[in-house]
Amino acid sequence: MNRQRRDVLKAAVATALAAGVPAWAQDRSPLKFGLAMPLTGSQSAFGKDQVTAAQWGVESVNAKGGIQGRKLEMIVLDTQADAQVGINAVNRLISVEKVPVFITAWSAVVKAVAPIANREKVLELSVGANSPDIAKLGDYVFTTFPLADVDVTAVARYANQTLGKKTAAVLYINNDTGVEAAKVYRDAFEKAGGKVVAYEAYDPKATDYSGMLLKVRAANPEMVHIHGLITDLPQVIAQMRQLGLTQRVSSYSAGYNPNIIKQLGPAAEGLIVTSLAPGEKDSPELSAYIERWKKQEGRVPNGLPYTQYLHDGPIMVAHMFDWVLKNNLPINGENMRRAMLTIKRFELPLSGPVEVSETHQVVKPVYLLTVEKGQFVPLATVN
Amino acid sequence: MFMFDAVVLAQILWTGLATSSYMVLFTIAFALVLKVVKLWNFAQAGLMAIAFYAMFAAVNQFQWPTVVAVAFGLLVTLAASLAFEIYGLRTLRARRTSSLMFFIFTLVCSEFAAYALTFIFGTEPAPLFAQIVSPVRILAGIAVSDWDLLAVAVTLVLTIGLALYLRLAREGQFMVAVADNADLAELYGINAKRAFGAAFAIASVFICAGMYLYGARTAVIPTTSLQLMLFAVIATLLGGMGNVFGAAFAAVALSLVQSYSVLVIPSRWQGLIVYAFLFITILFFPRGVNTSGWATRLRVRRAPAS
Repeated sequence: MNRQRRDVLKAAVATALAAGVPAWAQDRSPLKFGLAMPLTGSQSAFGKDQVTAAQWGVESVNAKGGIQGRKLEMIVLDTQADAQVGINAVNRLISVEKVPVFITAWSAVVKAVAPIANREKVLELSVGANSPDIAKLGDYVFTTFPLADVDVTAVARYANQTLGKKTAAVLYINNDTGVEAAKVYRDAFEKAGGKVVAYEAYDPKATDYSGMLLKVRAANPEMVHIHGLITDLPQVIAQMRQLGLTQRVSSYSAGYNPNIIKQLGPAAEGLIVTSLAPGEKDSPELSAYIERWKKQEGRVPNGLPYTQYLHDGPIMVAHMFDWVLKNNLPINGENMRRAMLTIKRFELPLSGPVEVSETHQVVKPVYLLTVEKGQFVPLATVN
Repeated sequence: MFMFDAVVLAQILWTGLATSSYMVLFTIAFALVLKVVKLWNFAQAGLMAIAFYAMFAAVNQFQWPTVVAVAFGLLVTLAASLAFEIYGLRTLRARRTSSLMFFIFTLVCSEFAAYALTFIFGTEPAPLFAQIVSPVRILAGIAVSDWDLLAVAVTLVLTIGLALYLRLAREGQFMVAVADNADLAELYGINAKRAFGAAFAIASVFICAGMYLYGARTAVIPTTSLQLMLFAVIATLLGGMGNVFGAAFAAVALSLVQSYSVLVIPSRWQGLIVYAFLFITILFFPRGVNTSGWATRLRVRRAPAS
C-alpha cells in the first residue's frame, strides 16, 4: 500500500514538473545547423579549408559547454560551388535535417538557394560570397561577409587615388561572382576620376585567355583588375605575363592565396589583393589559429580571410540559438532571424565585430595586401 | 574598340599557332585511330587523363626529373591503350559487336577513367608543374615564350615524324594498307591486329605530348580531357574522316579562327565558335571539307586548250 502511494506521488510530481517546462527546453539533443560548401570540384581547395575552419568553430563552442548544455552540431553537404548541386544540398538540409539556419558560399549557390530559404523561412547566412546582389535576395538571406561593393570599391579607389593609375582594364569571369563585381570596380574607378579602357568577360570553362588579353594589350591600361576564381586567376595572370603585359594587377580576396604565388613565381610580384578579415596584428587569436593550421595541415589555409569568417560562423549561430532558448521560443528559421537582428552586433574572435542590419549588408575595414619578394605583405587599410 | 594593329594581328597568329599545338596532337591521335582502326575513339579522353595524371604523379609525388616523368607517362598511357585494344576492342570485334556498342564502350571507358582518377587524385585543379609561367622574350613586338617554342617544335617534329613513318617505314605503309582495307591487307600477309596496336601506340605518344604541353600551361581536373575531346572530334570531321593531316590542318585553322574571332566578337563568346563549327560541319560537311576536289577542278580549269 505504502509502495503504491509512493509511486502515485512520484508520478504526480513528475507530471507537475513537466507541465511547467516547455517541451523543447527539456530537449538535450544537439542544436543542428547546415553548412553547404564545395567539398569536390574546382573550388574544393577553398571549400574544404573553410569546412575545417567551421569545424574548429563548432569545437570551440562545444568545448565551452555548448549552448545551455546542448551541443552544437554542423551538418556538412557538398555543393561543388554549383547552383544545381547547391539546391539539392540545401533542400536536404531543410527537408531532411530540419535545420533552422544554414551557412553557404559562392555567389552562384547563394543566389540559387535563396528562394528556398525565403519560401521555407530558414535563415541563410552567406559567408564568403561577394556579389552585390546578395543584399537583395530576400528576408531570410543575410551576409556576414562584406560584399564586393566594399572591398572592390576600395581597391578601385586605391588604384586611382593612391597609385595614380588613370586607366584600367577590367577582366572578369562571366558568372555570378564576376559580373556584378566588375561593374562595381568600373563604376568606382570611373567615379574616382579614372577611365576603364577595356572591359572583358571570360567563360568560366575557358583555359586560353589570349584573345581577351590581346585586347587589353591593345588598350594599354595602367592597371589591370581581374575578378575571377581561385582556379582561373593564376592562369589569367600567367598568360598575361607571357603576352608581354607587365601592368600591375589587382584582384579581390580570392587572390589572397599562397598557391597563387607558388604557381606564378616572380610573375606574382606587385599583385594587390584584399582581405576583409583582420591580420595577426589586429587579432590575437589569429596567430594561434594559423599555428594550428601549420601544425595540423602543414600549411596556412587557402583563402585565410574566408576561413576566419567560416570559423566564426558557427559561433554566431551559437549566439542565435542561445538567444532563442533563453527567450523560450521554438527553434525555427523565423526566430533565428529574429535573434540575429536583435543581437545585431556579434563580437567574433577571428573576423572581428560583425554588425548585421535590415539592409542585409555588412561593412568592415578593407585590408589591402601586395606580393613583395614572394610573400603577401600589408599595403594599406581602408575604412 | 579593338585596334587592327599589325603587331597585334601577328601576336594573335603566333599565340594561336602555339596554343593550337596540343589540339593538333590530340586531333592527330584521334584521327589516326579513326583511320586505321575505324573507331570513333572517345576513350581517348580517358587516355589523356591517364597520361596527365601519370606524369603529374611522377613529377609531384615521386619527384622524378621531367624526362623520366614524361617517359613514365608515356609507358602508362601505352599500357592503357594497348590493354584497351587487346582486352576491349578485340573482344568486341570477335563478337562482331555493332558500331553503337563500340561507341558506348569507348564512352564508358572514358567516364570510368575520369571517376577512377577523381578517387585517386581528387577534383582540385592542378597544373603539371608548380609554376605555370615560362620565360618570355619580345621579338619585333611579339611576345614569344619558351612554352610557345616548345609547343610548336614538339608538334612539328611529331607530325613530320608521323608523315615520314607512314610514307617511308614498312610498318607505316602496312598501317596505311590496313586503313584502306584491313581484309585485303591480311590477304597480302599484313597483320591487321599489329597495325591496330601500332596505331594506338603512336596515338599514345601524341596524347602524352599534348597533355604535357597542356598541363604545363593550365590546371587540369579528371574531366578536363572530356572537354578537350570535342575540339579533336570537330577538327577530324572537318578534315575529312580518314585524313589525318587534313584533321591536323583543320585543328590549326579552327584554333586560328577562334583566336582571330576576338577581333569581331566579345571574348566571352569565343567558346561558341567551336560549337558553331560543330553544327556547320555535321550539317554541311559530314564527310569533311574536300579540298582535293577543289584542286582537281582548279587544275582542269587552268589546263591549256589543245
